[in-house]
Amino acid sequence: MNGRASLATNLRVVRALGMRSVRQTFRRPQLIAPIIVFPTLLLAIQTGGASAAVELPGFPPVQSFLQFMLAGAIMQSLMLAGNSGGIALAVDIEMGFTDRLFAAPIPRFAIVLGRLAGTAALGLFGALWFLAIGLIFGAEIESGVAGALLAVALATAAACAVGGIGAAIALRTGSASVVQGLFPLVLVVLFVSSAFFPQELMIEPAKTIAAYNPLSFVAEGIREPMISGIDATDTLEALAAIAGIIILGLALSARALRHRLRVG
Amino acid sequence: MPAIVAEGLERAFGEVLAVQGIDLAVEEGEIYGFLGPNGAGKTTTVRMLTTLLLPTGGRASVAGHDVSAEARAVRRSIGVALQEAALDPLMTGRELIRLQATLQGIPTAEGRRRADDLLERVDLAGAADRRVGTYSGGMQRRLDLAAALVHEPRVLFLDEPTTGLDPVSRKTIWEEVRALNNEGTTVFLTTQYLEEADQLADDVGIIDSGRIVAEGTPESLKAEIGNPHIQLQLAEGSVAEAEAKLGEIGRLLPPKDGKKVLVEVENGAADIPRVVRILDEAGIAVEALELVRPTLDDVFVAKTGYHLEEESEENSEQEPVGA
Amino acid sequence: MEATAQLPAWRTNLATIGALMTRARNELLRVPGAAIPGVLAPTIFFLGLNGVFGALTQLNGFSTGSYEAFIVPVSMLQGAGFTGAAAGVNLARDIEAGWLDRLLVSPTPRWVLLAGTVLAASARALIPATFVIAIALALGAGFPGLDGLAIAYLMVAAMAAIAACWGSMLALRFKSQSAAPLMQSGMMALILFTPAYAPLALLSGWLADVARINPATDVLEAARQGFVGAVTWADTWPGLLAVAGMLALLGGLALREMRRTAV
Repeated sequence: MNGRASLATNLRVVRALGMRSVRQTFRRPQLIAPIIVFPTLLLAIQTGGASAAVELPGFPPVQSFLQFMLAGAIMQSLMLAGNSGGIALAVDIEMGFTDRLFAAPIPRFAIVLGRLAGTAALGLFGALWFLAIGLIFGAEIESGVAGALLAVALATAAACAVGGIGAAIALRTGSASVVQGLFPLVLVVLFVSSAFFPQELMIEPAKTIAAYNPLSFVAEGIREPMISGIDATDTLEALAAIAGIIILGLALSARALRHRLRVG
Repeated sequence: MPAIVAEGLERAFGEVLAVQGIDLAVEEGEIYGFLGPNGAGKTTTVRMLTTLLLPTGGRASVAGHDVSAEARAVRRSIGVALQEAALDPLMTGRELIRLQATLQGIPTAEGRRRADDLLERVDLAGAADRRVGTYSGGMQRRLDLAAALVHEPRVLFLDEPTTGLDPVSRKTIWEEVRALNNEGTTVFLTTQYLEEADQLADDVGIIDSGRIVAEGTPESLKAEIGNPHIQLQLAEGSVAEAEAKLGEIGRLLPPKDGKKVLVEVENGAADIPRVVRILDEAGIAVEALELVRPTLDDVFVAKTGYHLEEESEENSEQEPVGA
Repeated sequence: MEATAQLPAWRTNLATIGALMTRARNELLRVPGAAIPGVLAPTIFFLGLNGVFGALTQLNGFSTGSYEAFIVPVSMLQGAGFTGAAAGVNLARDIEAGWLDRLLVSPTPRWVLLAGTVLAASARALIPATFVIAIALALGAGFPGLDGLAIAYLMVAAMAAIAACWGSMLALRFKSQSAAPLMQSGMMALILFTPAYAPLALLSGWLADVARINPATDVLEAARQGFVGAVTWADTWPGLLAVAGMLALLGGLALREMRRTAV
């Protein structure tokens, strides 16, 4: 065998690790439950509790508050998916499984990419789940099948992006409980975005932060096809935000990997 | 009256019968060794005897109280140190023993005094105010043992008290168990170590697949297996020739590695001179000779068909006699 | 050879409850940062909900113009639910580690073992509640009055006890920490399927129906009354009754599980 693995070999490794992380995720109820249970619960509570919000002056025209909130639930789900992916990687590190991978002749990035495949699958699953819930409870997707596909694609990509940051933290700390402890932080960054409410109607200082929060752009990108129609600007802004998060995640992961290999 | 009695004791988990009708009687003041491999049903039996698990059949009593109907009374009479000493790593050793005293209804001042005494006794006085999480495995087991003694129980249950410990820590626990027994405490001890059962127990019960397959004193169990045998390594001369000569002395056992001759002898060491003389007369030179007594492992093999431990050399009682 | 010096049963029981509470306190004091999640979660919810849904008070039907005041008792109760459910998670961890066996082989009555866990959770829940109140007052929610504050704290302690019974019941049943999401989400549903975000009249139909029959609604209204108006007996007794009922039910179920765990 020659020293450098071919691209095809690397892709095979990524696929094998990806399959493992997908299987692992769906076999561990602790990983899948928070991604579905908590956002579903919160969706029910928020749509039931704040449904009258649509009567507020300045609220965008929507069919129902549920239709508006679906994007919020998907955002929450994909953020938690990213967090779960980080937890799973940290568990691997704690169990010594990653050492086995580090010791194998495969490029480091394949390890992270393989892990992200599991996260993407979770993101996809969450997006489909909430679309189904929306449809069952009467929320319409205004831009039809194309809009639904766009929303799902953006959500999956965003889950991957957020997962990169989760992976970076896992690689840096190597501790599942630290990554688990970020759970509340996930809610913080969502609360200061427009995921749950129109940005113009939020209260300061959340309102100002939400105006610049990249997650607001992702949320709007997922929401627009549902409540009105596919909008090029919103979609491009969402893609730009996702790209930004991916770059940040990759940079942090690369640093963390170097750190891990240095300190052992 | 026996301190522990079980009659047809059974425990099923769903379809699986983990303990299948155990009968045993442990006399007051005895050390009873419950010997068996992992998964044989030792822990399940202990959990039933210590009121942690309801039997699904049969009955058992400890210190004269029925484990099902009079669980509270049983709990007052027993001390328990369970496998893998369940200790709170955040507590200090002293706090743990005081908590145990409280659980047993001992007044605070008395509990403090006993905690101090016990920590001294198990040689943890110096570490008493350190958190349990910083203790070594041996220290944790000693602390667990001390906690089990805080109310001076009549019957002490020790579930694999030395599993995973180094030889020195193991000996320390053994000494403590012997001392307690000398003070009159009945000890029910489960173990997967032959040596432990052999060294400590007055009576041994061998459990396999949920049934007791042999019971008695270690000596009687070994005697049941048969006589000791002499094992010979020949310097020169044929195995067949040696066997032909030695057949007159006692029963021949299958040769070991094809080279060692094994002959059963009735009188143990007293038969050695005869063996040496016969071989000498036949001109067969012996390189090594040893007297091998039956071990509990032989008992185990005879009863179950397999060895309990891999490290059997360590436990066999081979007595090299010379070359 | 049995211990001769025995305390009267009631004193042993009290001492045991005290000792178990001390152990729970150790957990808080000896693990660095252990108190943080319990405080952080309700605080984040409080600040977050306020920032996101604050404009709701512009709608007709709110008896107060301050969403902080309206939402603060929700966050206090959420903190209590979170803390109580965490007591269940800790119990599951104790079961996994074999620690509970140590308690179960002692002659201590089973209800005493449960009471130690539950009362420790009640006491612990006062920490996040105090934290959330302090922030709310700093942000301009009006002081609820001493009577309002006392009732709010009482409801917090009771809700933590209810959550601890719920968590313990599940811990004893599943004997695994993997039941944690069920413990937490069950309490989240109980506390938030109420007029948590908006008054009953503004809730959507199905949630209003659920909230009407949810006993936690009475607990929330009792805790909230001082923050949004005056304290009245009419708003207090249903809360007390609901608390007593839920404690009796969940406490009874938890105790039954504890007894089934062993003899």
